[in-house]
Amino acid sequence: MRKTLDQLYLAAGWTAAFVILAIAILISVQVLLNFSTRVLGLPLPSTIPSYSDFSGFMLAAATFLAMPYTFRSGGHIRVSLVTARLSERAQHVSEIIALAMAAALTGYACVYIVFLVYESVHFGDVSTGSVPIPLGIPQAFMAVGMGLLFVAILDSLVQTIMTGTSVIAQGKET
Amino acid sequence: MSDPVTGLVLLVVLMGFLASGLWIALSLTAVAGIALMFFSNASVGPNLATIFWGHSHSWSLTALPLFILMGEILLRSRLSRDMFSGLAPWLGGLPGRLLHVNVLGCAIFAAVSGSSAATAATIGKMSIPELRSRGYPESLILGTLAGSATLGLLIPPSIILIVYGVATEQSIARLFMAGILPGVMLVAMFSGYVALRAWMNPKLIPAADTGMSLRDKLWEVRRLLPVAVLIGGVIAAIYTGIASPTDAAALGVLLAIVLAVVTGGFSMKDFLDALLSATRTSCMIAFILLGAAFLALAMGFTGLPRNLASWISEMGLSPYVLLAVLTVFFILLGLFLDGISVVVLTTSIIMPMVTAVGIDPIWFGIYLVLVVEMSQITPPVGFNLFVIQGLTGIDIMRIAKAAFPFFLLLLLAVVVITVFPEIVTYLPEAMTR
Repeated sequence: MRKTLDQLYLAAGWTAAFVILAIAILISVQVLLNFSTRVLGLPLPSTIPSYSDFSGFMLAAATFLAMPYTFRSGGHIRVSLVTARLSERAQHVSEIIALAMAAALTGYACVYIVFLVYESVHFGDVSTGSVPIPLGIPQAFMAVGMGLLFVAILDSLVQTIMTGTSVIAQGKET
Repeated sequence: MSDPVTGLVLLVVLMGFLASGLWIALSLTAVAGIALMFFSNASVGPNLATIFWGHSHSWSLTALPLFILMGEILLRSRLSRDMFSGLAPWLGGLPGRLLHVNVLGCAIFAAVSGSSAATAATIGKMSIPELRSRGYPESLILGTLAGSATLGLLIPPSIILIVYGVATEQSIARLFMAGILPGVMLVAMFSGYVALRAWMNPKLIPAADTGMSLRDKLWEVRRLLPVAVLIGGVIAAIYTGIASPTDAAALGVLLAIVLAVVTGGFSMKDFLDALLSATRTSCMIAFILLGAAFLALAMGFTGLPRNLASWISEMGLSPYVLLAVLTVFFILLGLFLDGISVVVLTTSIIMPMVTAVGIDPIWFGIYLVLVVEMSQITPPVGFNLFVIQGLTGIDIMRIAKAAFPFFLLLLLAVVVITVFPEIVTYLPEAMTR
């Protein structure tokens, strides 16, 4: 179970990472295409249709899919100035409270994000660019990512209570 | 409830969430939810979902993960290892000698990585042992490193300026241009300070190594040139309008990969590490931006920033007085919060007030970054201090003391750009013509 969950977070994180790489490639191809038609006059289409829409949606997917991995690896930053000065016992309690609040918040957000996706699908909302993309598709990634973040937080909460120590890696870089 | 009371309650609630160790992005979201629930008639959940979606897929925000990735790749390439040997032969003749490697190395690396802490870590790893073994004074080694690493926030491509631009809907291209001259000015100020110290007390600085021929000097610096060309190219493309910052960032990633592979020592594992690390950092920042966007919406519904703005303009406060008050406020805030949080809190609450007294938002962005730079080197929460502590094991207060002159220089820079705002506005205005 522990292994499965960790692999799940990491898999979502790697998916996000490759989506970001795909954005870099997509935009680079667009720029090179633009350059080769305008400057070199090659007979190619000068733009990839709706490439900025695509990149934006991919960015959203990457951001949300990376949430659980970022959370577990201590990537999301927090203020530890006060809590670090508490006694070990009080630190443990405050960690549980913080995780419980985080779980409640993300759980709440998930409900409304799922509802947003449902509405987009129900009303058949599409993006306004030259290639109409059903908004439900990129939004579904947001729902999945937030859902996994909720799972990761709940998982950390349970694990913290069971093991009696903080399970979230200490974030170092910002 | 009257405005001041509402504002105070929300501030206390926010501080409470932050102090309890709730993640910053979630703290912002939570206080926004409370503001909407109790101090407005708007619904919470649907607004939350709409904002999270609406602010997560913008074209300008796409520049964020790409510039971070570019930095992460170059960070793992040979470049960082060659920084010291490439720069040292050129700077050994200046008063203050190799301490300038810290300043200039940080400036170059800062431009590449866009992150202050990463700059301190990477340059420090090279330069601290080198400078120590040659007998340079510890306070100046640590001070120049801590101070100059903050340049990463200002010299384009800068991550924090993207955050500011996205949050305030200002042109990121213009913000980047606005950061160049103040960045150069700071490099000159830091180097000038080192030279002044060396000139006042020549015994402080060890003797120069034996000179090198120009040929050898050029040979040593060869690996730094492509990087200089890369950064110069990115800036030039944005300045001339050939490419948007996002376009430039994507090409920057490709070129960084090519550069890292060509210079050697860059493995597939390095690349994957860079990719995952960039994804993680970008996710963290984007999440804070989402929380801040939700807070900005909630604040809009409560009407607090608007009322605060009209209150300020009714008082007929001069921009200078407002800036003086804000500077003190930001320095205090920066003692406890990281730079990105300071920026997003500002943009969701203080921006209307700033525009109400007629301060240019682009100029304010640069001002804000300078103030945030100061917060990087002030204890108890200053990320550069943490990084250098991690590198050297020296007590954080001693590092902070070494960095204090550079804090004052940053403060001086704030005064200078306030008196001569053209230093900031000249390039972005020249760009429109």
